[in-house]
Amino acid sequence: MSLRFLRFITSRWTRLVLVSSVLLGLQTTLLNDMRPFGVMAQVMVLFAASAGVVYGSEIGALAGLIIGLMYDSVLTTPLGLASLVLGATAYIAGAVPYFVRDATWWSKIIAVAMASAIGELLFPIAQAMVGYGGRGEWRVFIVALVVGGVNLVFAPLMLLITKWTLKETLVG
Amino acid sequence: MSVLSAKRKRAIALLSLTSIILITLDLQGSASTSVLRGTFGTFFRPIEGVARVVTRPLSNAWYGITNYNDVTKENNLLREKIAQQEGAAVAAAASVRLSQELLALNGLPTLAGINSVSAQVIGDSPSNFSQTVEINQGSKSGIKVGMPVMNAAGLVGKITKTFARRSIVMLITDPEYALSVKVINGPEAPTTPINDPRAVVSTTTSTTTTIPTTQATSNIPGFTPGATTIPLTTVNVTVSDPALAPTLTVPVNGALPVRETGILEGRGPTRVPIVRFIDSAQRFGTILPGAPIVTSGGSLSLAPPDIVVGTVTKVRDRLGTAGPILEINLVADLTNLSFVRILLYQPITERVAP
Repeated sequence: MSLRFLRFITSRWTRLVLVSSVLLGLQTTLLNDMRPFGVMAQVMVLFAASAGVVYGSEIGALAGLIIGLMYDSVLTTPLGLASLVLGATAYIAGAVPYFVRDATWWSKIIAVAMASAIGELLFPIAQAMVGYGGRGEWRVFIVALVVGGVNLVFAPLMLLITKWTLKETLVG
Repeated sequence: MSVLSAKRKRAIALLSLTSIILITLDLQGSASTSVLRGTFGTFFRPIEGVARVVTRPLSNAWYGITNYNDVTKENNLLREKIAQQEGAAVAAAASVRLSQELLALNGLPTLAGINSVSAQVIGDSPSNFSQTVEINQGSKSGIKVGMPVMNAAGLVGKITKTFARRSIVMLITDPEYALSVKVINGPEAPTTPINDPRAVVSTTTSTTTTIPTTQATSNIPGFTPGATTIPLTTVNVTVSDPALAPTLTVPVNGALPVRETGILEGRGPTRVPIVRFIDSAQRFGTILPGAPIVTSGGSLSLAPPDIVVGTVTKVRDRLGTAGPILEINLVADLTNLSFVRILLYQPITERVAP
């Protein structure tokens, strides 16, 4: 029983929830205040995209769904919407090996930025699909561009964090 | 490996289905999603509190770098404005009190008769696509969904979600927000054309007539009306012969402001709200920029009457009977909210049937 509990608290998914909580704390405080060009940087989207790029589509999608579910809890949009969006974002990010053979560190960074921008575009689309429409304006592209740009800068650090967070075992 | 992959695929499918079920439940207004959010909030608030304390120096540095010049300029401007408005505020407060006493005396609803709760804004929406803020008062203070929220300047939005000790406020700029409002159009300048062929510029005679004060009576117990003043115009007529000077004074019909109702709609953070469905009636005259917009009230309205919303900045005329579209400059600065007041007034349309 105690071994099972130990395994549970040292598992990658427990670490994912803990790291996501800290990042969500940053999202709702620091990043909420600092808005370059009037756009909020999206660290949760960055985390999901990094998970996809580092560990592939399957683990990425799972991580994205969990990160999104946590993000949903502080948003005013329907619960579950960000979960689907971030799941899809991570899945798309995980498709990098299909396009780039032997991805280098910089191609991974670019992939994270692009997946982040796509993920940010998916938000208004998903909102419109559940009837939270009326946001079909050019601003969404500017938002996606800025989010992609900011995430391009922070991607190297986030890739390291993601690598540690979702490592199968912490030993070895 | 393939067993592991199948397991993961099942987990992905399960989580996706859970998300879809949660969306469905939330859209149906199920209480279970609120419970989930509330439970997560209980665990998350301490983490957020620590993050706020740790990151505050960084936020302050960011504000210092990006807004220093603006803040200095704004500070100087505000000092000047305060000096100008201090005197006007005293006179305005007296007028408002007088008006509220008069309305109360006649049994008409006033804002002074509605209880309110003050609250602090504790956070914006952590999203680029929602125009909401979070406040630190909730259902325990009597706040319910639909109640109007205002600050010292004017209307800010409405309550859309309540928890025990916090609530979510949807701002006026949110595209989901719509509210019935009144446009108060000022009276047009009176013109009295005189087409007298004999009129030649020679002498100017000014004539003014005033109506003598009469003691009016009232059916309201304890209410003695004062002198009634009817607005009058003084007509300056240029005539060739002073003997022909008219002895007529024309009372101004449109001396009182004319009101017309419309619907205010938010359009997101980057675009100003608009008012549509204004009747292009001739009686209403031309709407000029600067005309005040206030809530219209009424049994189906989201807010009580006469809360200041903003002023007209631009009038976009449309063909036919569609009526003009008015662009609005909100009096409340929604980008810099600190303290708000929630009127404990729940519109009929927002009441949940027991």
